[in-house]
Amino acid sequence: MVTIIDRTLTTFNTSGMTSQDLNHFCDLLFTCGVTKIELTPELVDRLNFPVTAAGLKQWLGQRRFFLTRIFPESLASAGPGTKEPKALWKLEPNELVEKNIPVGKLHSCHHQKIRITGLEDLMTRDYSEVFKALLDSGIDTLDLCPGNHHHCATAIALEWLLAGGQSISCGFANHHNFPPLEEVLMGLKLSQPDLFTGDLSVLSELRDLYEKLSGQPVGKMKAIIGTDIFKVESGIHVDGVLKNPNTYEPFSPQSVGNQREIVLGKHSGRQSLLYKLNDSQLSESAAHSILKHLKSHCTQLGRNLSDRELRTLAREVQNDKQIYC
Amino acid sequence: MTNRYIVDTTLRDGEQSPGMAFSIREKITIAKALDTLGVARIEAGTPAMGREECRAFEKIKLSCKQAKIIGWNRMNRSDISQSIGCGADIIHVCVPASDLLIREKLRTTRSQVLKTLSACAAAVHSEKRELTIGLEDASRADWNFVVLLIETAQHLGATTLRFSDTVGIMSPSLCKATINRIPDNIDIEVHMHNDLGMAVANSIQGLRCGAKYADTTLFGIGERAGNCNLEHLLIATQGQLDFGINLDELQWRQADLKSIIYKNNLASA
Repeated sequence: MVTIIDRTLTTFNTSGMTSQDLNHFCDLLFTCGVTKIELTPELVDRLNFPVTAAGLKQWLGQRRFFLTRIFPESLASAGPGTKEPKALWKLEPNELVEKNIPVGKLHSCHHQKIRITGLEDLMTRDYSEVFKALLDSGIDTLDLCPGNHHHCATAIALEWLLAGGQSISCGFANHHNFPPLEEVLMGLKLSQPDLFTGDLSVLSELRDLYEKLSGQPVGKMKAIIGTDIFKVESGIHVDGVLKNPNTYEPFSPQSVGNQREIVLGKHSGRQSLLYKLNDSQLSESAAHSILKHLKSHCTQLGRNLSDRELRTLAREVQNDKQIYC
Repeated sequence: MTNRYIVDTTLRDGEQSPGMAFSIREKITIAKALDTLGVARIEAGTPAMGREECRAFEKIKLSCKQAKIIGWNRMNRSDISQSIGCGADIIHVCVPASDLLIREKLRTTRSQVLKTLSACAAAVHSEKRELTIGLEDASRADWNFVVLLIETAQHLGATTLRFSDTVGIMSPSLCKATINRIPDNIDIEVHMHNDLGMAVANSIQGLRCGAKYADTTLFGIGERAGNCNLEHLLIATQGQLDFGINLDELQWRQADLKSIIYKNNLASA
């Protein structure tokens, strides 16, 4: 299995965070499939480690660390009926040397542990040749952390792993222009379902905690973790999704801790209306009339109508009253 | 630099994003901005949606000086006659290509799809309009049927074939391999969704493999995680591909349109 490193916490201002939140954030990252979490010494200090233990503070120094998770063998091999072994956290020094170097100069880096950054423009070049050169360079440990200024970092990360790369560094929700972790993980899950072991249903919880810790809202349409990505409005899509959700969903909402929601707006059709009003007896002309008013209101408001607003509208249209919304 | 062209679908696929709704005046403002920017083709909407959509479509057609205006249609003769009636330059017919959509959504068969497509093409040609054909959900379709649809599109006189990654599951290498397999005797248009955050990268691979057109939207709006973001595509291909669109101009015009597109929901931007 490849190594997935998360770097989100290294760029946070962590002064206002509680240790409980930090520990929970790390727990969720491990659950969704992260192999290593990159940490600064200040962060290590605030996690649940016995930092006062003799020697540990000195060991921490100014170095960066990786937090990894281990499952104790003695517990894992315990007999049937015993509880799942609780994973333990372990610290190891981060020995990766970060380099933003032209691919042609890699021969001077033999036998090191390197993290390659940059490479933003790789998608407009022959990237498979570049990956081949990197993989043939003889470097001991080669981690890739492509920049996302060209909005292609996820693609570069996944193509790197597909080409044989063994390690990739990411950040949650496009944090700090790293490849978005959630996109890389879903890409891996869909392309290698048998090998991927993470549980992405915690992503919504992780998003909420990320917003709390970073103070940065995640876009509602953000791939994988946006709150609105499973809202369906257009008549064609609602029709498809009600018949079989796979028609217009690349993965289930539940698989990322989200929920599907049929919403009513300018592009709604009769199907959506019947579904929302739960009224199969609604006449053709009544449905037509309600839809007409609904579309007009939504265009005026620039948003969907809530269920309550719809019921009011339907009642008033059917009673032939003046409409308020 | 290689020349390529933008098909902007902000007013069709983009507006289908939940909560998005443009008035006629707003649609015209957006279309005029796209036309001035140098967008080659504007997918202005689905005339079959009703009278308001038709009125918007007709006004857009009158307002745009350079861009060709596309009317989007289901594989349905009544939809097509609405688009023709609104004056669309290009009649785009969307054909479900995957068995999943054919079976589960249309509840029909491949042979019926081919038959209906032929009838639709005849309706377009009888009115002497340009026909383009889109393969919906092509990335999940059986390749043999995709080939058959491509051959049919050529035979039916379509000028452009739109290859749609409808649920955004393609990877750049798959996109590269797939577009390379399409014969070069029809113009190719790539329509990429951003479900895995790879719409820009996939569009670039499609364009590098010979696609002439890439579908985009302003701010990347669209169903679920959206479509290929025009601004991002221009940033990523600067100095490599020439779409005849100036990035600086796009950025300030797009900023001007932000309040129209997001209305009272600017937090979503």
